[in-house]
Amino acid sequence: MDIARLWRQQPSNIRLLGSRCRSCGVLTFPERVRCAECCSSELQAYQFKGDGELLVATTVYEAPRGFVDQVPYVAGLVRLVEGPIVAAMITDIEPDKVAVGMRVEMVTRRICSSGADDPIVYGYKFRPVAHHD
Amino acid sequence: MDLAHLVGIGRTKAGEHWNRGLVDLAVEAGGAALDEAAVSPTAIVVGNALGSVLGDQRNLAVYIAARLGYRQAETHTVESDEASGGAALRMALALLNAGFHEAVLVIGAEKPTDTFPDGVEAGRANGLDVLREAGFGFGVSVAAALAMTNYINTYGVDRSSFYHISAHAHRHAALNDLSFMSWALSEEQYAKSPLVADPFKVCDGAPPCDGAAAAVVTLKRPETDQTVRVIGSAGISIEPGIWRPVLELKLPAAQQSASRALDQAGLTTKAISLFELHDSSTIMGALSLEAIGLADKGQALKLAEGDALSLKGAHPAWTFGGHKARGHTLGASGMYQIVEAALQLRGDAGQNQVADARTALVQSLGSFGSTAFTHVLSR
Ligand SMILES: [Zn+2]
Repeated sequence: MDIARLWRQQPSNIRLLGSRCRSCGVLTFPERVRCAECCSSELQAYQFKGDGELLVATTVYEAPRGFVDQVPYVAGLVRLVEGPIVAAMITDIEPDKVAVGMRVEMVTRRICSSGADDPIVYGYKFRPVAHHD
Repeated sequence: MDLAHLVGIGRTKAGEHWNRGLVDLAVEAGGAALDEAAVSPTAIVVGNALGSVLGDQRNLAVYIAARLGYRQAETHTVESDEASGGAALRMALALLNAGFHEAVLVIGAEKPTDTFPDGVEAGRANGLDVLREAGFGFGVSVAAALAMTNYINTYGVDRSSFYHISAHAHRHAALNDLSFMSWALSEEQYAKSPLVADPFKVCDGAPPCDGAAAAVVTLKRPETDQTVRVIGSAGISIEPGIWRPVLELKLPAAQQSASRALDQAGLTTKAISLFELHDSSTIMGALSLEAIGLADKGQALKLAEGDALSLKGAHPAWTFGGHKARGHTLGASGMYQIVEAALQLRGDAGQNQVADARTALVQSLGSFGSTAFTHVLSR
């Protein structure tokens, strides 16, 4: 991936930075320049906490190029506590232990590997929140 | 209202064409359509999804036009992910109905088999959200697996019952010489096919393959009896994202574009003789059946298990094998559907013929259902 593109994506990919509309209050991930709900361009940066709930998941055995070295990996949809839904890999858990409804938290990991000359891409994955029961 | 007449059609076999490039395939299909038509199109619209991302020719239509012998023509290359074929036809209808041209050649062409499967999967994934989905390891198979998972959990269907969608498509492809997978699929073959992303198996996916399909469209009714009319057309895109089909098990763009195209045609789903829908996977096939109202929510697999979708059934679907078994030529698939529907309406479908086929609904989807083009054809 190109360095410039990677750099531009860092705030969302590493810090889970999104936007809050000053006009209607809607939260979006990642950052936007215009609110898709009310068309306002008065947006401010919004830091998502990184906590969420796993809505649905699958274990991937045949991956697109760039992700082949990570199979089998778990890919799922996470609903952040603030509302937005994020597509992400679920990590730090055996695929057969993954359960829908599980509470998860964001961690920063290596996301994909492309050619030998390409930069390593880091970004968010989600892992189970440790139980305290 | 007649939006256009299809006065010439052509297609190559769908499959692996080691000795043919992207332009060659398009020229073969386009040439066949031109040979059938008594008119000379002055514009060429080409639908293609992956040429650019796989490092093939850009501005494709220019190169195809020249190879078809055109010294000059208006050309457009249309990319709307896997809906590119449907989008190309819609563009051609716009050129005709604006009065810019009297005849337009529409071609769908795709050449994915030069690339290894993981590269094709990555190219296809770029039709999803590049930054938020494809960039995080999500491809169309992953999206389909998530939708299947939720479908199974929501409706309590058995995982193995997705077999019926695949088996149905294979039964029709077995009669079609130009299909990629022209054999019947047994329950055992399906069950043994490897997992791509649990519970999505290889046999749940439409195999990406090479091919081209083309049609010459005109505004003026041809003098021969053998005309196929386009009487409804609609294109709709909604907010993209795999979450909606996955979590809501709905394809609103498919539903709305079908409804608009039918309204324009003055028909209801009940009046349609046959259906060519976007079965890029078993789950997309199932959700498409539900989106256009052929099946109630959660009932599509049951519908496919019975005879209703067969050539002699109440609602024949995927009459030449669909994307699943004719082969998924991605950006060309939408034009394969059009050519196959035209063959049905002309009575030229051979072993795949639906008796007394009068009308057809053809739907092409892109970006996991976010983009939809629907056309209604009539004889
Ligand atoms: Zn707003």
